[in-house]
Amino acid sequence: MTRRLLNVGAVAAIAATALLVGGALRTGETSVAPPPTAKQLVRAGLEEQQAARRTGDPTHYTRSERFLRQALDQDPNDLYALIGLASLSNTRHHFREGLILARRAERLSADTALVHGVIGDALIELGRYEAGFRAYDRMVALKPSIASYGRVAQAQTQLGDYAAARKTLGLALDAAVDPETRAWAYTELGRLDRVRLRFAAAAREFGKALAVSPGYPLALEALAETEAARGKLGRAIALQRRAVERRFSPEFAASLGDLYSVSGNKAEAARSYARVVEQERRLARNGVDTDLDTAMFNLEHGIDLSGSLLLARRGYAKRPGVEANEVLSWALIRNGRCREAIPYSNRALRFPDGHRYFHRGMIESCLGRQAAARRLFRRALDTDPNFSPIWARFARGQLSS
Amino acid sequence: MRYAVVLLLAAVTGALLLGAAVRGPSPKAGEASSHREAPLISEDPSADNTDVYAFRSLDAPDSLTIISNVLPAEDPAAGPMYYTFSTGARYNINIDRNGDGRPEMVYRFRFRASPPVAFLRSTVQTYTVTRIMGGRSTVVARGTTPPNNIGPRTTPNYRTLAANAVGTLAGGGKVFAGQREDAFFADIGAIFDSLGFRRGTGTTGGGKDFFAGYGVHAIALQIPISQINANNNIAGVWASTDRPQVSVRTVRRTIRVRRNGKLVRRVVRKRVIVRGFVQVSRLGNPLVNELIIPTQLKDRWNRNTPATESTFVRFYREPILAALINRLYPGVINAPERDRDDLIQVLLTGVPSLNFTGTKQVEMLRINLSIAPTPANRVSRLGVFGGDTAGYPNGRRLEDDVIDIAERAVAGKLKGNVRADLLGDGVDANDVPSLPSFPYEADPPSGFDNTKGQQKP
Repeated sequence: MTRRLLNVGAVAAIAATALLVGGALRTGETSVAPPPTAKQLVRAGLEEQQAARRTGDPTHYTRSERFLRQALDQDPNDLYALIGLASLSNTRHHFREGLILARRAERLSADTALVHGVIGDALIELGRYEAGFRAYDRMVALKPSIASYGRVAQAQTQLGDYAAARKTLGLALDAAVDPETRAWAYTELGRLDRVRLRFAAAAREFGKALAVSPGYPLALEALAETEAARGKLGRAIALQRRAVERRFSPEFAASLGDLYSVSGNKAEAARSYARVVEQERRLARNGVDTDLDTAMFNLEHGIDLSGSLLLARRGYAKRPGVEANEVLSWALIRNGRCREAIPYSNRALRFPDGHRYFHRGMIESCLGRQAAARRLFRRALDTDPNFSPIWARFARGQLSS
Repeated sequence: MRYAVVLLLAAVTGALLLGAAVRGPSPKAGEASSHREAPLISEDPSADNTDVYAFRSLDAPDSLTIISNVLPAEDPAAGPMYYTFSTGARYNINIDRNGDGRPEMVYRFRFRASPPVAFLRSTVQTYTVTRIMGGRSTVVARGTTPPNNIGPRTTPNYRTLAANAVGTLAGGGKVFAGQREDAFFADIGAIFDSLGFRRGTGTTGGGKDFFAGYGVHAIALQIPISQINANNNIAGVWASTDRPQVSVRTVRRTIRVRRNGKLVRRVVRKRVIVRGFVQVSRLGNPLVNELIIPTQLKDRWNRNTPATESTFVRFYREPILAALINRLYPGVINAPERDRDDLIQVLLTGVPSLNFTGTKQVEMLRINLSIAPTPANRVSRLGVFGGDTAGYPNGRRLEDDVIDIAERAVAGKLKGNVRADLLGDGVDANDVPSLPSFPYEADPPSGFDNTKGQQKP
């Protein structure tokens, strides 16, 4: 909070007054405001991204891009205009573009740690995991910081090395000063517990996040999901409603819809799902590539299955990471093309989770191998009993029949 | 790097503020893309060296006092206070005896957390000071910080609490670590907008101290001069902070262990901290990072030691601030934009017959320990520019007005440009007086009494 106040004060000041000079120059007081400099535009562009992170509202992306492009017009070699645009491209899921921009930034300054963070973010989403992890290692070797610890911890989590991820997040928490950053670190620590099905421990960490930063939406959402996984549907709905109120996010709205759906409140579920559609349109209008997300939502909810397969293919062509493999295999399964789904499912299972085991079980079932299917359904539920509110139920039904 | 200064200088010098640490998205389709995003973190305040002071004081003239501040802009009213030293970081005070930019003495502070109150961080921390000298490490102090200044009910008699936290160094001297009032003073709000001026101008006062009412965390040492033992009595001082490095993959290595008298091989998985520590911040002379070092080299500069400063020398020779001053005040100041050997001398070699340490270019705060402290009524805030050789750039005292000194130096005062004296930020002194004795930097403002509401622009 403090730091933000100071930030705001400083920004306002940029627009207010300057180098103070002796009496000779006092008349300067009435001078006309000059056009913004490249640095001021970069600042404004990055502030917009900060606002987007806080609220989720994608209209900030559009403004951020305008400011950063103007800055780059003035100074084509502005390092942070390039980093800002690269990061913005990643945020909008244009990872190839993000990688190209980040590489340009790298040519300007291979010594700047953040450049390698943004490069790694793009590489990982493009499915180039080893190169992405190397970029993160380089980042943290150049400058250990919350930013690099956070990325390394995510990579460690993805690799299943939870003990290492916990230690790394401990360093991030230790380095964090402002409440929101501390809340973020607690939330990430809670996710590590959640992944290992330690629901009570996870809930405690999310509670810490909410205590240091009341209403922190990422913790509300994570806590809601954990409560749902523990079978406390009523509490989960109350928490998720608060999360949805506090943050623009189709994913949050979809989760709320699912919670209503499994609790039997079809009318509220429909309202939430309508909100998902509306918010995804708004994302798309502001330059976010939502192909995979839309496909996943539709596949989960049985909407336009053949159209979703097209979307999944298109998304896969643009960012062939593990998520795209997962979505595309699910799309093929849902369209009855189970054999085709196998290679995508295999690649998705490089980083296994409940969803991905379940999808594999659906393939087996579809190919008539019921024993294997049951084994995989069980494995999916053992890995995560709440991998999907809707399909976990389905998997349980299959096992009990 | 002083975050608030950098913030404003961004407009000018290309310092970065924001945007660091944007965790890009790594959304999982069908899961919240927002899930994986860390908040936008612009800086690392608990590792951020903001100011270093080195001076002889009137009450302890036979000692050198060094104060290193980190964690700028602590808002005393920010509710549960999280401001503490990082327990993962190493905070170093480095002393060079021979002008080579390598420290002959390092005082390293490591902090531990006290058991949390509920899960809120307690602000009382224990710490250890290790002196590294001649390849040997010796623990020279163990201490405890005072709590942060919350208010008269939670932390009554704060002066006593803080005084009781002053410890002794083995072999002589004093040590302190904990929250202080930020002794830095500057009208940050006014300094770097391009073309307006605050009513009431630099040389006539009237600026607003942007740092009034804010706290910092300080580590402070008072070392007997007899232990410093510097060539010609001129010591170089800088602060640095290191953070542990981690790597994505666990490193496995084979070691030999003795079991039942036999050497056997065992594979151990060395977790997380694989290559020790990386220096993430350093600070000697004030404002060098902000005013001299270009954006794209800041990470590298902060990682380097002062011994390699010659690789940055061209940025001292042609400081970007000089060009900026001329752009802002065309024809008024006429700051020399090139061949600034005068700045190189002050910042990198020392000034002959004052604090010259040799021809090697090393960025550190130099102090001639044979110059006696100036009596209080004769101190000039402009230090050597004001005829007071016991002040900056000969060491740095809490009352030295480094913003005005730096602006005038960059504007060419040492090259005889009399117009340099037109520059100043209108804040000539800190808003609160220093303490008469160690650790000198004033007690932090309390949350209860905080006055920022009126004082902040």
